[in-house]
Amino acid sequence: MTVYSARFSVCAFIVSLTASLPVIADTTPPANAGAHWAFHSPKEIAPPAVKRTDWVKTDIDRFILSKLESTGTAPAHFADPRTLIRRMTFDLTGLPPTIDEVDAFAKAAETNHDTAVSQTIDRLLASPRYGERWGRHWMDVARYSDTKGYVYSREERRFVHAPAYRDWVIRAFNDNVPYDRFLLLQIAADQIVPRDSPDLAAMGFITGGRRFIGVTHDIIDDRIDVVTRGTMALTVQCARCHDHKYDPIPTEDYYSLYGVFHGSHDRLVPLAKINDAELAKRQKKLADTMKKRREEASAQLRGRVGDYLAAQFELKKYPEEGFDQILAADDLIPASVRRWRDYLHTANQPAHPIFAPWFALAPIEPGDFVKSAPTLLASVLRDVKLNPLVAAAFATPPASIAETAARYGKLFADAERQPDAPGAKELSELLRDPDFPTTVPDTGITNNDQFFPFTAIEELWKMQGDVERRMIELGTPAALILTDAPQEPNPRVFKRGSASRLGDEVPRQFLEAISGPKREPFQNGSGRLELARAITSPDNPLTARVMVNRIWQHHFGTGLVKTPSDFGLRAESPSHPELLDWLARRFIADGWSVKSMHRLILSSAVYQQAGTSEAASEHDSENRLLAHFPIRRMDFEQIRDAMLAITRELDLTTGGKPVPLIDAGNKRRTVYAFVDRQFLPGAFRTFDFANPDIHVAVRHETTVPQQALFFLNGTFAAARATALIARLSTGSSEEKVHQLHRIVYQRAASGSEVSAGLRFIASAEADAPPPQPPVRETQWRYGSGEYDESARRLKSFVPLPYFSGTSWQGATSFPGGDTGWAQLTAEGGHPGNTRVQACVRRWTATADAIVDIVGTLKHEPEQGDGVRGFIVSSRHGELKTANVHKSEAPMNASGIMVKAGDTIDFIVDIGGTLSYDQFLWAPTIKASATTWDARAEFSGPAPTQHLLTPWQQYAQVLLLANEFAFVD
Amino acid sequence: MNPFNPASINRREFLSRAGMGMGALSLGALAQAQSDSPLAAHAPHFAPKAKRVIHFFLNGGPSHVDTFDPKPMLAKYAGQSLPGEYLRTERKTGAAFPSPFKFSKYGQSGLEISELFSKTAAHADSIAVVRSMVAQVPNHEPSLMLMNCGDSVQARPSVGAWVLYGLGAENQNLPGFVAMCPGGMPIKDSENWQAGFLPGAFQGTFVDPQNRELEKLIENIRSPHASSATQRRQLDLLREINATHQRAHGGDPRLESRLQSFELAFRMQVEATDAFDISREPESIRSMYGDHVHGRQTLIARRLLERGVRFVQLWHGAGQPWDHHDNIEGNIRKHSGDIDGPIAALMTDLKQRGMFEDTLILWGGEFGRTPTVELGDAGKSKLGRDHNPYGFSVWLAGGGVKGGSVHGATDEFGFKAVENRATVHDLHATMLHLLGFDHERLTYRHAGRDFRLTDVSGDVMKKIIS
Repeated sequence: MTVYSARFSVCAFIVSLTASLPVIADTTPPANAGAHWAFHSPKEIAPPAVKRTDWVKTDIDRFILSKLESTGTAPAHFADPRTLIRRMTFDLTGLPPTIDEVDAFAKAAETNHDTAVSQTIDRLLASPRYGERWGRHWMDVARYSDTKGYVYSREERRFVHAPAYRDWVIRAFNDNVPYDRFLLLQIAADQIVPRDSPDLAAMGFITGGRRFIGVTHDIIDDRIDVVTRGTMALTVQCARCHDHKYDPIPTEDYYSLYGVFHGSHDRLVPLAKINDAELAKRQKKLADTMKKRREEASAQLRGRVGDYLAAQFELKKYPEEGFDQILAADDLIPASVRRWRDYLHTANQPAHPIFAPWFALAPIEPGDFVKSAPTLLASVLRDVKLNPLVAAAFATPPASIAETAARYGKLFADAERQPDAPGAKELSELLRDPDFPTTVPDTGITNNDQFFPFTAIEELWKMQGDVERRMIELGTPAALILTDAPQEPNPRVFKRGSASRLGDEVPRQFLEAISGPKREPFQNGSGRLELARAITSPDNPLTARVMVNRIWQHHFGTGLVKTPSDFGLRAESPSHPELLDWLARRFIADGWSVKSMHRLILSSAVYQQAGTSEAASEHDSENRLLAHFPIRRMDFEQIRDAMLAITRELDLTTGGKPVPLIDAGNKRRTVYAFVDRQFLPGAFRTFDFANPDIHVAVRHETTVPQQALFFLNGTFAAARATALIARLSTGSSEEKVHQLHRIVYQRAASGSEVSAGLRFIASAEADAPPPQPPVRETQWRYGSGEYDESARRLKSFVPLPYFSGTSWQGATSFPGGDTGWAQLTAEGGHPGNTRVQACVRRWTATADAIVDIVGTLKHEPEQGDGVRGFIVSSRHGELKTANVHKSEAPMNASGIMVKAGDTIDFIVDIGGTLSYDQFLWAPTIKASATTWDARAEFSGPAPTQHLLTPWQQYAQVLLLANEFAFVD
Repeated sequence: MNPFNPASINRREFLSRAGMGMGALSLGALAQAQSDSPLAAHAPHFAPKAKRVIHFFLNGGPSHVDTFDPKPMLAKYAGQSLPGEYLRTERKTGAAFPSPFKFSKYGQSGLEISELFSKTAAHADSIAVVRSMVAQVPNHEPSLMLMNCGDSVQARPSVGAWVLYGLGAENQNLPGFVAMCPGGMPIKDSENWQAGFLPGAFQGTFVDPQNRELEKLIENIRSPHASSATQRRQLDLLREINATHQRAHGGDPRLESRLQSFELAFRMQVEATDAFDISREPESIRSMYGDHVHGRQTLIARRLLERGVRFVQLWHGAGQPWDHHDNIEGNIRKHSGDIDGPIAALMTDLKQRGMFEDTLILWGGEFGRTPTVELGDAGKSKLGRDHNPYGFSVWLAGGGVKGGSVHGATDEFGFKAVENRATVHDLHATMLHLLGFDHERLTYRHAGRDFRLTDVSGDVMKKIIS
């Protein structure tokens, strides 16, 4: 294994070179685009009159019933209490009601149905489980992930800030934060809350997207998309390369928003005080190195002004971000060439005291240079008050633009050498101006890596990774916020989406389709706060409609607008446009209260209908008119959480570090599972979990055999079935079947269900195989921990969580997880990244014995500084130690007394630095009659699942049945 | 329009979303479409030449000038700089670096192939080489995305996912799209066979053929806690329980299709076991493919294709084995040696089984390599080649491909495509054409746009179609 293997390479999208670019005939949006309903404020509409007023419970019902009556369709009868409370509970909390809750509700409903409903809604909305359910809906919108997507091996792949964002979203729903403020904080919290506010976590909405290996244009594109589709259901992203084909969104508007996000850079800020010496040490190392490398790189830039100016005439040689080259310290840095290009564009004033000669001479055609330069230069010298050194350098006309560039190079160099010369101070100051292209921006490696040569990029990212890993280990909540750059020129349109084809400058401003022709450019900084205010304004015709539609969608399965993130011209018209408008106005009038909206919807007759209807219209096979309640299949979170809930295993711990989804010990709600967008667990993918790479408005709903295999063969459902049977109180078989139905379905079993169950049990018992011999468990465990040299003890032993088939390690990918490179195989392994994460092969004695230990610790690579090995007994302390580097050492100890339960640990940690630390060491432990061989007995997790008993098989079937997977 | 929700929307809506009218469906396909599976087989736009695809992905970027694009001029310039523009790549390169390998003419067509693929060359008259491929940038990640998904950056469905979406699977008991890679994943991991905005069911199923045990090959394929007889009894009870529930809930087709998915899963366990078990092949076949991981994965691939798997991608190995920056002579010899035999064996085997005519074979990487030598520290030669997106080769064979033909050409040194430049979209358009699709009409509505594999360009390479 090579540490820091060749898994780098460099990347991304550039269109200037060989790409055949999309050429799309500019399609003017239809002339009536302005008349499209979604671009006009919701109308004030009185709920219509209806005939069957007895059916109506809320104004919502009038809109629904009016349409039904116009088609001659009767609504369905009301759902029975058990169905209704199950529906409400799954809808609001993502969990099933308990049987007691069902019974209590049924009883209360007998007395006063509406009061019982209303009290249940209040109870559910007050439950912390509500935010976990509805927060997850928003996380689909926010393309939530705990990882950055593909990164080079130098970079930490997990986000530090994601869990805090997830927890903030959940809390915001639970606290019923008004939706306008909810959005405002997610887009511009940095500008409206104090520097230490926990609300800064909200910005994970914008900063939680894929990192696209750092390519700015793509990161911004993703942010534009999540903001515009997420909040306003506008597909602004379609205008990246050309005017939107269908909606009135010109490409200029895309770049106005591009400018808003380009004017901000990412900053990681802890949301709580951290007192950790190790973190402080790593942060200091990063900061010191960054300072040093910035100084070096800036010095290079200051010394090569002439070269960078000359490069402006060969821009094609300096490809855009995404065409990555491995650059040495003496190469011109393409990002700096472009920064010069942008500086010269912005600074282009004929009276510029330093660059006026450049601005005058640069546009001359090469063939005309000798002829035109003297005249143009003469007028500059006459009209402009030039810096004395510049004036002196251009006292005579240069012969070419190359010479012009070279003269600038020399005059800046002279100014640095002779600081006392007149004019030198101004030039030297300019070279150190943070906004001048000769100073590498002080914005952190996430934002400034493109300004360094390759070795510095690698070095700084690794240090950044060390800081991030420590923060993740500590679990301190952190926010990845945007902060505005002090000043930022206006964005320019990228023609056909290509960053190397710059078009016109556009102001940062809101979309014309919404603000109208009289819109004003944003005034402050990046304009991001103004953007957020424009989105959350009560006058924005889309924002409230989009959110009430999302709420409706999650209660009825389909929105009033079927495309919840596309309200453009190609979207199908709303099924009930008046209702949509009425709800949107009501939402704003109620202070953007999401919980009020739930209460309103759940109190309605349309929501409380039964799932089937005799009268279902043939003309409405999709049930758009809602003549009955639509039956809904549970999503993955609901079904997994429900299984854990009914067995009473569900761990209701809230927030914090994410936990691996597929892990026998993970009994927390699915919303807290580790969402790894690069290695999304198969179960998530199979069950149509929201793709964390893209904003998801509606999840796919597929039925494939892999889903059935998960329930049938996977350990999860079998473990639930086992727990379910363990939950039963003793009784006759018949009583057990009854109990199971009450627990699983919250209802009584019918007579035929009981007899089917009993038949199954009898048949299964008749066929039951003989009891199996117990599986022999090995005495080896694999973990990591810190060896305390002074106490000569292992401080802690944390099992390595993942078995790859050949090795124990920190995560599904390697290196990965909190322990990074820590790994144990049959033959040896690799210590973790720091000495806190030594890898530990642990042997536990099952009986008293005297043992001998034999083995050899071997380190092969020449590079690096080797590893340290220790044998430590829980009874006797350190038994043996050795340092090896391209060498081997015997690791033997004899006559060691152990008592049952004692451990012997084989510990390896890094020599000094993490580099080429793979080692070989497979010890053997011998007692008089037995030998334990680490190599031969190396194994994955002990099988936890034995054959299911007939009752467990039966319980599993109940969990697999459609009744468990659908809510009606 | 509703996002694709095959279980709950009607067939007509699905098809209109898929950019295919009802008329496009044959009666047979319609019958199969009764199944609500998103993977149900359906017919393409027009009669296909190929029904399935196998893609040998030489990840890392195989050198074209050492394999399928002979450049004798490089010998003349050996050790000297090439004339003309210096093309920038990821790293610095220096003088012309002639191929150390001998090229010969093979077959009646006289197709020139290097000694590295001499076994494959026995099928020269079945192979069409595209020598004028271009990518966009000289970096692995975006180029892998471009070759696999048609876009270097954004999350887009892979070719296999599109094909599965367009054609469905012929065998519901196996995954329709399988990506095999020995020892772990290539760079960019599962993004290479992603479903993007399509449903997860179209995603490639990753298999590491180094594992010999079936349960390590496919997730949840075997039950650790119930015998087949037990499961049968459980499924019978499940059917009974569901029937009662279904009667009370009208004719919602989702209820039936979920029930069916358990039956499919039950059968899948048997079928998958069989498909991956190459010990069921005669010894002569096994030895023809070779008893090593590449031989085994190629033979597994044939068994999968035979059983109706639509798209199989065979990667060379974890990471980027074909990334020959250093000592290319030794390294490329080894890596070619790994797969030359298995590829030739597959072609022979498909021919003798009558499957060659409707199986499309694709060979290639994410880009090619420079004809100039890569320079290391202090300008020292590394005896290797850097990445080259300006010109490289892929080849196709089988269903509908005109064997023994060549499309396009690079310059005299093999640095840059100069004749009939072929973009990755052109390649994808050609593949879809052979599979019976008009690439401009195989679309999917997402985020306000009708997306297609070939974005907004792509021309079918007619010259290599028989």
